[in-house]
Amino acid sequence: MIQLIFFLSIGGLLFASLFFLARRKPRPEGSSGALIEARQALMALQAGLLPAQLVKRIFAPEDWEFVRAEAPTAVRELFIDERKRVALLWVSQVRTQIHNLRRFHRGAARSYARLNPRSEMELAFSFAGLILACRMLQLVIYVGGPYAAPRLIGSMVDAASRACKISEQSLAFLNAAQLGVLNGRPTGSAAV
Amino acid sequence: MYTATTTRRMDVDQAVDDLRHRTLSEIPRSLDRLIYLASMRDYNTGLYYHDGLASRFTQEVACQALADCHRDAFNQLVSCSLRELVAQMEEYISATHTSPRNFVTAWKKLEPYRVAVPVETDPVVAHFLFSSFKIALAVLEARLHSAQAEPVA
Repeated sequence: MIQLIFFLSIGGLLFASLFFLARRKPRPEGSSGALIEARQALMALQAGLLPAQLVKRIFAPEDWEFVRAEAPTAVRELFIDERKRVALLWVSQVRTQIHNLRRFHRGAARSYARLNPRSEMELAFSFAGLILACRMLQLVIYVGGPYAAPRLIGSMVDAASRACKISEQSLAFLNAAQLGVLNGRPTGSAAV
Repeated sequence: MYTATTTRRMDVDQAVDDLRHRTLSEIPRSLDRLIYLASMRDYNTGLYYHDGLASRFTQEVACQALADCHRDAFNQLVSCSLRELVAQMEEYISATHTSPRNFVTAWKKLEPYRVAVPVETDPVVAHFLFSSFKIALAVLEARLHSAQAEPVA
């Protein structure tokens, strides 16, 4: 009886995994669509989310000092709630874009033999570290508010900017490879 | 192709200079500029219209120049501190000759700043500015309350 329950459970688990795998949307790895998606993620990070000016404004201590000095308790609470919400949105967007880039590099590593294994390994570690840092930051901000971890924010932004630069170099190579394919020239870089 | 693009960019740069010297120099605050430039945009098409600028250049060039200036004004406002934003709002209220109380009530209800954002603005940046407006309005409202309470006390 116990064996029957055991095998039925394994069968159920296998069926559930097959069901979820079948429902998953296929992602065009290594295609021009994936390249565009990765470029958009890179642009969103470099131009939208990581510029020092924006990060400085979201986590500006002078804004909190102004509100603390000039406004009653209700406004102070509103300020902390609002900044916390913006900070959490910012971290979640950074994490989403890093996820998108990581997914692209994972697919690209499978499709292109000419990619530099060292830089891809470096990127893989950077992305894993950044996603972990984003998770930690989300937790810290959620519990301690927007001003709880200024150093972690600074180091996360620096690490993300470095990862973006490495990714940009890889994307430049892939872009040239894609253009070669589009022009009908053999690139000689596609892996079997 | 390259020459046409370069010429068009030069025209847009000239139109931007023209707009800055003739019109925007009269509007010193970035909040006022943002609202003015957003009002030049047709909400149905997202295109900007300015008859004077279009007559000196072309409609397409005028539209691009207005969009560029709108983006600049938005970025300037985003980089303002909360103290500066509150100050700009106070000056804007006095320039419009509206009762501060009515202004705060209307802006809190209608949130007109939501339609003043340029196209293709990053959602996080837009959300940050909306949030700053909300806090600035709360600060202004608190100031109005304390100003009203002072004579009684």
